[in-house]
Amino acid sequence: MVGASKMKKYILNSFLAAVILFAASCKPEIDAVAGTSAGQANFSKYIAVGNSLTSGFADGGLYLEGQKVAYPNLIAAQMTTVGGGSFTSPFFTDAQANGSGYLTLSALVNGTPTLTPVTNNLAVRDASGRLTKYTGEVQNLGIPGMRVDLAFAAPFGAANPYLERLLSDTQVGTVSYFQFIQGRNHTFFSLWLGNNDALGYATNGGVTTDATNVLTDKSTFALLYSNLVNTLTAGGQKGVVATIPDVTSIPYFNTVTVAALLNAAKAINPAAAAIYIQTGAGAVRTATAEDLIRLPFQSAGLFGVPNASGLPYGLHPLNPIANNWVLDKDEIARIKDYVLSYNSTIKSLADSKGLAIADTYTYLNQVKTGIVLQGVGINSAFITGGAFSLDGVHLTPRGNAVIANVFIDAINGKYGSNIPTVDITQYRGVKFPN
Amino acid sequence: MKKILLSVILSAPLWVFGQGFQVNLQGQKQIGMAGAGSALALDEASVFFNPGAVSFLEKNSISAGVNPLLFKSAFQRTGSNVTEDVKNKIAPPFEFYAVWGPKSNKWKLGLGVYTPFGGLVDWGDNWSGKYALTSLNLKAIYVQPTLSIKITDQIGIGAGFVYNHGDVNLQRALPVNYPDGRSGKVTLDGTGKGYGWNAGIYIKTLSDITFAIVHKSKVITKLEGGSAEFDVPNSLRTSFPAGNTFNAELPLPATTTLGIGIPLSKSTLLAFDASWVQWHIYQDLAFDYATNTSALADTKSARNYRDGSSFKLGINHQASDKLALRAGVGYAFTPVQNGYVTPEAPDADRYILSAGAGYSVTSKFEVNASFFFEDVKSRKQKNIETGLDGTFKTLVYAPGISLTYKW
Repeated sequence: MVGASKMKKYILNSFLAAVILFAASCKPEIDAVAGTSAGQANFSKYIAVGNSLTSGFADGGLYLEGQKVAYPNLIAAQMTTVGGGSFTSPFFTDAQANGSGYLTLSALVNGTPTLTPVTNNLAVRDASGRLTKYTGEVQNLGIPGMRVDLAFAAPFGAANPYLERLLSDTQVGTVSYFQFIQGRNHTFFSLWLGNNDALGYATNGGVTTDATNVLTDKSTFALLYSNLVNTLTAGGQKGVVATIPDVTSIPYFNTVTVAALLNAAKAINPAAAAIYIQTGAGAVRTATAEDLIRLPFQSAGLFGVPNASGLPYGLHPLNPIANNWVLDKDEIARIKDYVLSYNSTIKSLADSKGLAIADTYTYLNQVKTGIVLQGVGINSAFITGGAFSLDGVHLTPRGNAVIANVFIDAINGKYGSNIPTVDITQYRGVKFPN
Repeated sequence: MKKILLSVILSAPLWVFGQGFQVNLQGQKQIGMAGAGSALALDEASVFFNPGAVSFLEKNSISAGVNPLLFKSAFQRTGSNVTEDVKNKIAPPFEFYAVWGPKSNKWKLGLGVYTPFGGLVDWGDNWSGKYALTSLNLKAIYVQPTLSIKITDQIGIGAGFVYNHGDVNLQRALPVNYPDGRSGKVTLDGTGKGYGWNAGIYIKTLSDITFAIVHKSKVITKLEGGSAEFDVPNSLRTSFPAGNTFNAELPLPATTTLGIGIPLSKSTLLAFDASWVQWHIYQDLAFDYATNTSALADTKSARNYRDGSSFKLGINHQASDKLALRAGVGYAFTPVQNGYVTPEAPDADRYILSAGAGYSVTSKFEVNASFFFEDVKSRKQKNIETGLDGTFKTLVYAPGISLTYKW
């Protein structure tokens, strides 16, 4: 009987094995169209022109992990199925992987974040903050801080450590970004530039102190942007341009709200009735929900601190929150007007050249209200929204993946290609301390 | 600033039962006939198929069978060129029946233990739908004592009480990341119970054509105190407390079946079943967590199922005294409406094909085997709640075997 039961077991096991083999060989099939055609485009040499977003800047710095998941790098990886070639980026070495340094979330207590700078394994080469040089071919041409106006200013190559890093010693200060991006024999390009022409002014609270926080004149923007587009399409190349997001769609301006400050003040002094701000016009008035306060104000240690006369900062008309911390509603209206003008320039130039348009302006306005993709809720809330990194301006890896798909959809829609989209679930949001 | 976590977006952990979780494997002979047979007094599996037919069974019998089931689902995200497959895992639907009554009497007692609903699907921890679901293991085991009475030589009625023991284990990734970049995870695990009934009428006309009307009631299965384990970075622990539990309710639908049996010859029987599966009871799925936080609210997710239906045609041919051969075809309409398809139940209309054979080793001992195949149509969907956007395609394979002892 023992033999019989063994036999039964043997028969049963063979039976199961046969079933598994059979069924494993009879997989369900789904035909794929993605990844089969470049359409009318040629992706063999793609270059990406842009600013910090293009470079992979995140968490207040440029570092290797962010560089690797910059949206152009994700797009380039997807392009390989439809004739895309290699894509080179000015990566920091593993030994200097932390690049310029960046912020991490080191604690989260009762919802209040503590951000700590990373200061080891940096690529900083001198006390003035210049970075280790990178030589070799570069196709990700994103330069943090780059603007449309400064793209034509050769001296900016000496002032901006990210561009300086890519220039030879003789080029520094003599070669502009506009010149730097030329002569690269590209067959396809992306151009997402102009954000800082509005954002630089906005993140300085609507106060202009130097060339990096000027609000670029509308007609200057149009002229220079058309120079960029003309140059990039000089050989008949196809490409994609992206619109400039509404600066108020980012966590940088939506986290420290007037209401939150007032609640915090009331928790200490129930009599607190209003927040006072100094506007761009120099007036002092009560703040409303239409006035936006910059993210770094939360850790600036100013709020509520009494001045020499004993008046608490921000809570008394004689000690208001200074203009540079606040984007008041008039400044916001002005910036919005400029961004709309920039975007109309971008779109009409793209249309006249037959280029694809990645409308990140419209898309990030949707993200602001919240979207759900592949089971992931994404919105523009600071830290928890998933799309924006710890600086409240730049994208997380997940945000880069989402934006890469906005570009890919635009390219596919324009040129009849079918570059596969990125699986956004493979990319992280903010890292939470364990 | 304290409210920063209020906006942690966590769509509801969710599960659904589609036609995909209706397991059509309750009797080896009937499986070979695509699941038709409510109007046939074929064997002790009538306890499930039609309690009214049990009193027409000639012999007392006991049987047990198993149908290892392989649910092979594939997903292709819209815009992707990659097809992702579920892991090969074998679910074990089983059935046990016993029928006994004094010979030449008008009544019989029956007992059935079977698995009418279940699902085993494991997409792996890192697929593109991981934030909707990584795996689900669901089992509903019905225990059904039954009484069947032959009212006349033409009519039998029967009814059984149903007790359901349900087991659920559902896992999915959470879109919050650890310092090493990996995602969080939630595991919901619980058992529950529910009650219902199964009753049928069996009519044998003078021409030997048989009819059946069977109604299996809905079984609302209540899960209480299931464990809700959130695997998240410690800085989020206060939002997802350890040792949390949940309550939920699983509505398993009622089914009404009309059946007809036609003897084509002395040795050949044709059976046809039309079933109406009343999934409309599944309007939403609610989870009630014992401990709620600003990031973890109770959830209620719309399901909006409509009723499903199936049509099955089977044939049983007695090739010799000892050998019977069977085959069947069927078609089922999904209860899952567009926008509500999920990776737990990647459901769509489906074709059913089956074959089977039975062998009487002695007059008392019988072996039956079957092979059951379902081709669930390809379905491109964007889920309204999760935004999961892609095409599902599923094939189901279930070979089975049972042993019967009759006296």
